[in-house]
Amino acid sequence: MIRGFFVCGLYGLAVLASAAEPAPGTAISFLACPIARDTGPDTDLCFFAEHDGTRYALVNPPDWGVPQLKHRVLVEGRVKEGASSCGAVGIEGRASVMAEIDNSCDVLLPFDDVIKGVAGGVFNNGTPQQRALAQDLARRAALDPRLSIEPAIAEAPPVPPPVPPFERRTQTLLYPFDSDRASGPDMVKLKELATFAQVAKARIVTVAGYRATSHLSDGNDLIERPGMAEIRAKKIAAILAALGVNAAHTQVSWEDRAILGSGNDDWRNRKAEVIVEP
Amino acid sequence: MKAVTIDDNSASAVANWYSMKSRLKSLRGGALLAAAALTGIGAAGLGFAAAEYDATEAWWKPGDARLMPASADYADALGRVRVLNAAGSLQTKDHAFFTALGSNGRACVTCHQPSNGMGLSVDTVRKRWQDTAGKDPLFAAIDGSNCPNLPQQERTSHSLLLDRGLFRVFLPWPPRAGDGSAVEPEFTIEVVRDPTGCNTDPIYGLNSKSPTISVFRRPRPVANLKYLLELPHGVPPSDFLFYNDKSLLPRNPETGGFASLQLMSDGRDLTPRIQARDAASNHLQAHAALNPKQLSQIESFEIQVYSAQSFDKVGRELTGADSPPGLGPEALEKGAPARLGNNPINRIFGSFAMWQSAPAGSDGGDADRARREFRESVARGSDIFYVRRFIINDVGRYNDKGLGNPFKRSCGSGCHNTLLMGMDLAPGYMDLGLNNLPWASARPDLPLFKVVCNSKSAPQSYLGRIIYTHDPARALITGKCADVGASMTQQSRSLAARAPYFMNGSAANLRELVDFYDRRFNIGYSESEKVDLVNFLSVL
Repeated sequence: MIRGFFVCGLYGLAVLASAAEPAPGTAISFLACPIARDTGPDTDLCFFAEHDGTRYALVNPPDWGVPQLKHRVLVEGRVKEGASSCGAVGIEGRASVMAEIDNSCDVLLPFDDVIKGVAGGVFNNGTPQQRALAQDLARRAALDPRLSIEPAIAEAPPVPPPVPPFERRTQTLLYPFDSDRASGPDMVKLKELATFAQVAKARIVTVAGYRATSHLSDGNDLIERPGMAEIRAKKIAAILAALGVNAAHTQVSWEDRAILGSGNDDWRNRKAEVIVEP
Repeated sequence: MKAVTIDDNSASAVANWYSMKSRLKSLRGGALLAAAALTGIGAAGLGFAAAEYDATEAWWKPGDARLMPASADYADALGRVRVLNAAGSLQTKDHAFFTALGSNGRACVTCHQPSNGMGLSVDTVRKRWQDTAGKDPLFAAIDGSNCPNLPQQERTSHSLLLDRGLFRVFLPWPPRAGDGSAVEPEFTIEVVRDPTGCNTDPIYGLNSKSPTISVFRRPRPVANLKYLLELPHGVPPSDFLFYNDKSLLPRNPETGGFASLQLMSDGRDLTPRIQARDAASNHLQAHAALNPKQLSQIESFEIQVYSAQSFDKVGRELTGADSPPGLGPEALEKGAPARLGNNPINRIFGSFAMWQSAPAGSDGGDADRARREFRESVARGSDIFYVRRFIINDVGRYNDKGLGNPFKRSCGSGCHNTLLMGMDLAPGYMDLGLNNLPWASARPDLPLFKVVCNSKSAPQSYLGRIIYTHDPARALITGKCADVGASMTQQSRSLAARAPYFMNGSAANLRELVDFYDRRFNIGYSESEKVDLVNFLSVL
């Protein structure tokens, strides 16, 4: 399949590019400047990155991975089958914002009236029950504006408490490159795991931290800084303890030798693993 | 004190409204007061009959024996602010909030005046200077002057308080944690410019026996605190996991529960009790710790007091059947705290639709027309606040907390997202550009520091490891490079009663506040949009 030609308005020069679109499942791993794209007056921006003449969409990553201009981004994943987004090829994987500043990453494409965003919000986020309550409040508030100060976002339903039989549970938390900031979804699961550990009166809770190398498509390796494995493990253990998990039953370890990268899903190696043994 | 009533003329305000419209300039940027002075209106410029409003009552002195009503309106620059005691009226005699507890004669109320929406406006500060020839405890050397070592009888020694409403906040360096333990900072700090002399002073400065950094900040209003103290609802991943870095929020050392960080601009004091102890020691110069009864009195009072604008001289009554439901302190008392309001139903402060085409009043005269047009302007302003997106870029501890840089949101759907209050619910401290160069407004009156972060630390995301700042803010508490210049967003209520704005008082009025955002984010508001925004903010 041949990609269409496109014009990049803010590069100063019109750039024409065409390349064979990588087949679904193709592994990619590269460092690049993210490019922001305005998707219309009523929507957020979207981001993509270019590599070997192909644009890869950096859309809806876990919250820590939203790209930032002034910083390069490490893109790791596999080409996704299906529709493109942000005018770029979709990928499954992760984007890591690199900590150091790179002022050359400064391209924001203006709205072109072609790539249009979709506004998010209370009516398409949350659980079905939360959305239904918001719709109901919207209907009532349209008739009675006094209701417009009632909270439109209902509390999420409580997670049902764990019930016996209690069996071993594990969780893997994934991290951006060189960072101890886990994603929101992972932390929600960790909170549930902490509850489980208490209710199940866990005999042993094991926390292990790792750091890793990313093997880039250009043959270079990016190695996380020494100490990351320890930082990740200790941070998770401290959070578990603060949430009520018995620290005396928690074993914390880390492997500071960076896991070698292959260029295939190396992002899965930047992790902390938690095992709860009832 | 009886509830204040206002006479029915407000003629000068109406005249000013038409003048403003014709010039498309916001008189809420200060000219209103100037015009009032020219037209001979009283000190507060309000058109109150003297019998109804005694200017001497506007200042609440420590030790005054008053009845603080359950609800009372107080004159402010644009109309009236209402202060509501949800627990009912109270006698101030011997009440710890209203009593001098230290050696300098100040009480909590000194800097948290009812007539200023429980904050303190610079107009009030100036009037107090005038009325007392600078002898009021408000101007205590410890923090009501630019530095205690200056000649206290001179106005110039209090210029930051008199010009910008700023108090000296002096913090230990290196930082100390809440339990007194040392925090190892990720950066060194050097004084580049020291107009007050305090940071280089051998007794009070950075190189003194007790190394101290002096920064200058506005007092925040002590009102509507339930919205600041409750843990955030609906902010992922949970109410007690800090959105910014997915760490846990700190614990309240007294209850063991998690605590929000919203109370102070730098998040250092987590609860009213902790803040009261800190303030008693540092601002009131109390030599003994507050006793449990005093602490309970202060806390009980602070968590039940609400404040919001209740009357506008042009727009008239802001509460009642034909007013937007989010206005006035009654809405705050009843409202659900710590909820996200950045959705099409809540629109942060509720609907203003009823003012979009405000009905004509009974008399059809100038005042009536002005009221209608003002209300329509406010409604347009609410739309701009909530709907008009702009590019938010390079805000440290905001764009880098998972939102992306840039992020495209409106005022309301971006940083000011808390239902009815308008601060960031995350809870969010951020470097908006108030303190750090190059965004900060020119402030030769403030100290300038050079911060150099060590190479092992994560840099401030958009300024790197060498930062010039007037106030390292949150970083003076955490010692983190990435926090340099970051401060908590603050509530947007009772604004008309407590100018100037921002933590360093850099916006003298609401127009300057709007202009700062317009400049910082290159928004491109039109002149009429700025007027609408200012009018909207003025009624909150």
